[in-house]
Amino acid sequence: MRDISSLRLPSLLPVNQTHGESPGPSPACVERPSGGVLRRDLGGLGGGPTNPQANPFGSTLHGAGPGLLRTGLEAYGGRILDSSSVFMQSNITQYLSDPQYYFQVNSQYVRNKLKVILFPFLHRGHWTRITEPVGGRLSYKPPVQDINAPDLYIPLMAFGTYIVVAGYALGVLGRFTPEALTLQFSKGILGWFLQVILIKGLLYSLGSGEAPLLDVVAYAGYGFAGTSLAMLARIFWSYLYYFIMPWFCICTGVFLVKTMKRVLLGGPRSYERHPSRNHYFLLFLAVVQFPMLFWLSNISG
Amino acid sequence: MAKEFPVPPVVFTPSTPTHRRHPPPGMGASPPPAFAPPRPSTSSAANPLPFMSFDVSAAAASSSSAPPLFAGPIGVGGSGASFEDEPPLLEELGINTRQIWRKTVSILHPLRSADPSLHADADLSGPFLFLLSFGLFQLLAGKFHFGIVLGWVTVASLFLYFVFSMLSGGRRGDLDLYRCVSLVGYCMLPMVIFSAVSLFLPRGGGLMFGVGMAFVLWSTRVCTKLLAELASSGDEHRGLIAYACWLVYMLFSLLVIF
Repeated sequence: MRDISSLRLPSLLPVNQTHGESPGPSPACVERPSGGVLRRDLGGLGGGPTNPQANPFGSTLHGAGPGLLRTGLEAYGGRILDSSSVFMQSNITQYLSDPQYYFQVNSQYVRNKLKVILFPFLHRGHWTRITEPVGGRLSYKPPVQDINAPDLYIPLMAFGTYIVVAGYALGVLGRFTPEALTLQFSKGILGWFLQVILIKGLLYSLGSGEAPLLDVVAYAGYGFAGTSLAMLARIFWSYLYYFIMPWFCICTGVFLVKTMKRVLLGGPRSYERHPSRNHYFLLFLAVVQFPMLFWLSNISG
Repeated sequence: MAKEFPVPPVVFTPSTPTHRRHPPPGMGASPPPAFAPPRPSTSSAANPLPFMSFDVSAAAASSSSAPPLFAGPIGVGGSGASFEDEPPLLEELGINTRQIWRKTVSILHPLRSADPSLHADADLSGPFLFLLSFGLFQLLAGKFHFGIVLGWVTVASLFLYFVFSMLSGGRRGDLDLYRCVSLVGYCMLPMVIFSAVSLFLPRGGGLMFGVGMAFVLWSTRVCTKLLAELASSGDEHRGLIAYACWLVYMLFSLLVIF
């Protein structure tokens, strides 16, 4: 923003005034000699100083307001999202895999994946992820080519839908304030985080903790799809909620169990070493979806 | 009974038509201004603009008079004949009102698609106006949402920028964060109209929902079209981007409806 001291505004008081006198007929505003015509050559941006005059009163921000803001935002935006090749060279790759992989989706993938999440019993195919040899190592195919690959688009959109539907549900109950919505947002973030910890802990205890963090984040976020659908149903008829919500809890549980089984099978340690322990942990994962998703869809909390 | 207090006599020397606020009593010839920059004409020539010059020596000398009402450099800045050569204030600030009006009119028509070439140069002053008027209409409805709208627009455009740039796989085309904020702000125009219309609709009725959905769809349509056109790689992910834009504008419709 421009420094206020660099604005050359005329004085707004009539200059002849003293305390005892009434103000004379001097104009309250000054007519500019150049009129109100904007010069066209600046366009909408006006970056850079237009009058670099030797100005003892001028500040360094003269004429650079919108241009500075734009270049700053460009730099920040570009820096936040580096291209994937530069990303791979940075040190973060040991903790976070490349996020670009999770957004290679198209609308057909999204439709089919939603069907798998919401009705996992109807999924006829297999649950393993397809691998392909890339540069001597086996890597998984991107979500566009493989229905079982995790993606980050659906969890992000499901979370957004959860927030919007929670807002509408609050409004229908008459309790909507923006602060309540922010509270719901924080609750959703917390729930997502708890799911991540749960799944990650399960994977660690069963031996295949090398699953990438963003994979786990994606799997944890799939639960929001069913939750937001159930909340939407609750807006229209509240008793519908008590049928749909357990159904979606079961569906999310089944989806997570089947996915984790494949993830565990792909791990280095053999799956058959402690079959009963694996089964109990996976059952626990499915059962804990019930309180977790009920808590998330509870609006008054 | 009115209290008597001494009023310092004001002396206007006719030979110096330059305006001084409190010519110090007892000083005959006007002292040369210690702090003011040099003027183009000599101080004896008539200055048509009623400018003030901040006279440090005079103010220090006239301790009995009241202090001037404003402080700070109010005098003419710059060397030479600088005031007449300065560009207009709006142009210096980069606010091109003609362009803002053209962009607004292009979004206004709900069925005809907006012209994307107008939005190639982004600016934030149009969105600022829209957000201000949105806040104003909300204020008329009794809700004080200025800061909330500002915060939500920021978060929403960050979200859209992130999703869009991830989906287009690094080939972001022309989209950068500044342009994204500008687009989200301009496509708020239907929501501004909705908040004006909602002042006359019955609260909480189904009519409000229906009208709100129509305006949200209008916003979404315009925003998706502009995003897809401006960032040249956006065509194959149109439905995905549209859903993200729809979520953003549903969020703002929440503010209006409830």
